[in-house]
Amino acid sequence: MGQTALVTQSGQKPVVQVIDFHKRYYKHPAVQGVDLTIRPGEIYGLIGPDGAGKSSLMKAVAGVLTFDAGTVEVFGINLDSEAAAERIKGRIGFLPQGLGLNLYPDLSVEENIDFFARLRLVSEAELAGRKQRLLATTRLLKFRDRPMKNLSGGMKQKLGLICTLIHEPQLIILDEPTTGVDPVSRRDFWAILAQLLHEQGITALVSTAYLDEASRFHRLSLLYEGRVLAEGEPDTIQALAPGSLVVLQPERQMEALAGLKARFPQVEALGSWMRVFVNEADPPTAIQQVQQVLAGIPVRTIYADEPELEDVFIALLHQQQLARHHPIKAASAETAANVRSGNGVAIEALELTRDFGAFRAVDDVSFRVRQGEIFGLLGANGAGKTTVIKMLTGILRPSQGAGHVAGADMHRAGMAIKQRIGYVSQAFSLYQDLTVVENIRLYAGIYGLSMADTRKRTEWILDMGGLDGHENDQAGSLPMGLRQRLALGCALVHRPQVLFLDEPTSGVDPIGRRHFWDILFDLSRNEGVAILITTHYMSEAEHCDHLALMFAGRIVADASPAEMKRQVEAEVGGLLELTTDQPTLAMERLLEQGYKETTLFGRRLHLFSRQPDSDRRRIPALLSAAHIEVASIMPRPLSMEDVFVYWVTTLERQESAVATGTG
Amino acid sequence: MNLKRLLAVAYKEWREILRDRIFFLLAFGLPIVLMLVFGYGITPDVENVPLAFVDYDHSALSRDYAQHYIESRYFNFKGYLHSLQEADGLLTGGKIRVAIVIPEHFQEDLMAGRAVAIQTLVDGANTGPARIIQGYADGINSAASGELQMSYIARHLGISLERAQTIIQPIKLEVRYLYNQEVRILWDVAPSLIMFILLLTAPMLTALSVVREKETGAIYNIYASTISGAEFLAGKLLPNILISFINAVILWLMVTFYFGAPFKGNLLFFFFATLFYVICNSSMGLLISLMVRTQIAALMITVVLGFIIGIQFSGMLTPIAALTGSNYVIAHLFPAMYYNTVIQGAFLKNLGLAALWPEVTLFVAYSAGLLGACYFLFHKRTRT
Repeated sequence: MGQTALVTQSGQKPVVQVIDFHKRYYKHPAVQGVDLTIRPGEIYGLIGPDGAGKSSLMKAVAGVLTFDAGTVEVFGINLDSEAAAERIKGRIGFLPQGLGLNLYPDLSVEENIDFFARLRLVSEAELAGRKQRLLATTRLLKFRDRPMKNLSGGMKQKLGLICTLIHEPQLIILDEPTTGVDPVSRRDFWAILAQLLHEQGITALVSTAYLDEASRFHRLSLLYEGRVLAEGEPDTIQALAPGSLVVLQPERQMEALAGLKARFPQVEALGSWMRVFVNEADPPTAIQQVQQVLAGIPVRTIYADEPELEDVFIALLHQQQLARHHPIKAASAETAANVRSGNGVAIEALELTRDFGAFRAVDDVSFRVRQGEIFGLLGANGAGKTTVIKMLTGILRPSQGAGHVAGADMHRAGMAIKQRIGYVSQAFSLYQDLTVVENIRLYAGIYGLSMADTRKRTEWILDMGGLDGHENDQAGSLPMGLRQRLALGCALVHRPQVLFLDEPTSGVDPIGRRHFWDILFDLSRNEGVAILITTHYMSEAEHCDHLALMFAGRIVADASPAEMKRQVEAEVGGLLELTTDQPTLAMERLLEQGYKETTLFGRRLHLFSRQPDSDRRRIPALLSAAHIEVASIMPRPLSMEDVFVYWVTTLERQESAVATGTG
Repeated sequence: MNLKRLLAVAYKEWREILRDRIFFLLAFGLPIVLMLVFGYGITPDVENVPLAFVDYDHSALSRDYAQHYIESRYFNFKGYLHSLQEADGLLTGGKIRVAIVIPEHFQEDLMAGRAVAIQTLVDGANTGPARIIQGYADGINSAASGELQMSYIARHLGISLERAQTIIQPIKLEVRYLYNQEVRILWDVAPSLIMFILLLTAPMLTALSVVREKETGAIYNIYASTISGAEFLAGKLLPNILISFINAVILWLMVTFYFGAPFKGNLLFFFFATLFYVICNSSMGLLISLMVRTQIAALMITVVLGFIIGIQFSGMLTPIAALTGSNYVIAHLFPAMYYNTVIQGAFLKNLGLAALWPEVTLFVAYSAGLLGACYFLFHKRTRT
């Protein structure tokens, strides 16, 4: 079977062997000296932010990109020429980056599969069988005649996988298959991928920008700016930056934050909570060190937790001195004076509804955002998040309902609202050919700022965004993180009281994202700005004071992140993580035994248990009866992603139950 | 060459073009629209120009003079007007485009042998047609005055009309227009439009076909598979050649049946030559598609190139013989000029393969050269 096979095969020749790989685009180096070895049967991960060099490396391995130095060997064939690269193509499958972009939108699901099969000379008899099986596994059977362009993101991604697998390759190379897909579809995709690869003994090289997907891989490389930061099994990488994570809830937040930032490089504020990564310290020492810094500040709760890969990633960057430290400036006296006292309501949505023809995009949505609060709107693609923002900002008229933004009525005072809000949209709103300062001046002009004010705000934005030294760079030439902070700065040029952010951090690397959130936190706490934000990074949702989860146009949950987790735990029980040498077999056994919410994460299993304490004893016994050794079984805190997946799958189940009940 | 893989690409391409509404319109709608627009637009044949007379003389001779205009197919007689003011109003309103004013004592002065000035008011807003209208008026006027002169001389000298004619016009120019007997500009231009429109639309389709997949990333399906460059290029080319050839047939039908241009040549030869011209143009587009990265760039290059060659170097508007120096040389570098020769030959002169084989051979050679370049430019392992 798969796992035992993996052990015996690890002595065999590697499927992919990359040594000292270099790739540059004109003058810009993309990859600088990467080594990589992939063994048969592995799922190997390349993890890193945009621009880390993942795509270049994968394309070179797939034999579709030239490179400047180093060697790339696939199936023992040295890819030193186009002709040599041709020799591996019968045995590989390659899924390029971009959700569904390599598929043909006007062809149906079946026609897409047929095209890939014919391109690969799969016989019609074989094709029929494989198509049926793959469509069934991916639950796309009933959509086989639907044009690809009418599929949801998750379905496009699964179709892409089928098309990559239809000729039964020995190695598949998937470039960011989960980017832009909602968490539910992402989990589904990983489960299907693991199952198919296991069944056919396929080796896979998969890249992702989501650090929290690392546990899906057998082994992985962390890439950053064209170099390998770390490689190995997820646990080994975790051990490279030893340390503990201290989670606490201090009283005087800003004071605590300033103190901690001065002492520790990795501090994050999450609503009323804070996370501090303490280098090279075991949990008790870490807690002690944090408490020392906070002398005098009362702390409500404090405990130690296992650091996540993102913490490790950033710690590694600090170790190798690749990360720049961004101190947050203390609020100036002028801005501090602007803080509006009290708990005034900044945004209020009252039974907002919006129809597009017969389709109800937003259905009876009500919520409130207080001054100085960060409010997160979560939901899968198409849940209605952007439509809500557009209605509140006065871009779109609601079909029904009312709203107040910054004290103005949404229906009557559209212009007043626009003067009092800032908006950073999903689609980038900067002028790429203008320089940083020109962009800021343009927005200052649009909002009618005086010369003196413009000068003052330009300085403030450059300072806030860490844009010093880039004043005369064109916006288009800036890295994503800087561009995003410039966009934020432009939206803040007129000192709005309310800020709307629509997926502002897509494509920004973890360090850039943390810097961005530091600014948002500072804005909300020191300047009293109310912030409404949408995001598809579930880990970011933890930064919000309050969350609303949208599903099919409705708000289905509305609470603080911690409260949401408590609700889900009350419904389905606690989360247990199980480590074993035969995870696939163990999963089959557990599913048979009625642990329905069991999912595979690389070599580990996650399962929900209503009686975690008794199950922790019962499950190892149960599995050892089937000769499966359990290395460990530990309770784990729920992540926001667990919460999101729980809600969406439950609601989808209800909806399909209703649909089958009536139809 | 594996035919199965080639056909897989061709079939997919065909399906996509038929299903993508924009692409379908580009493939089949655009040529028809261009033919209608250019067919009516380029043609400077001005006929049925609305005309009115202001006759202050009301004599037999003035009516006789007016009759020359009324009978002409170039003018559409709208009636007699009472005053110059009335004519002004109608000209301003666009109801008539020419007003001719016959002064008082027109007949009396002519009979007395005095010269008479006829005032002709022409709507000059559009200079092109205005000049042409002036030309028509000139011609009709000299014909009319010639007749008057003749009858005057005949009457005074007591000789016959024929004798009088030889006296006033000793040399008579007799022109017979060959091939296009009625010298209709439309008959000349409309067939050439087939050349021009295929020069624009055929490369446009292929120019978009590869670069579109480069933009989306679907080209990696090809790069990462076992298909060979030749199979892929042929698969891309085939459906597009078919579409452009269908368009050539539609355009031919429009030219002959809708615009009424006579076709005197051999239909089989004409479409045989047209097929190779289409292959030439499609290959040109394919080459462009391989060289650029965005659909916008591909579109711009094909349109700009098509217009420059079509308007300046094809012989459609400016005869090749009238080009000088480098322009003459440049014109000979593109197949458009040779296809224009084929069109002129097939439509108006009934020339066939026997006379036009060099042109057809040139198309074949040209296509081979372009496709060879495509083959060497196409790599399944790229730099970027």
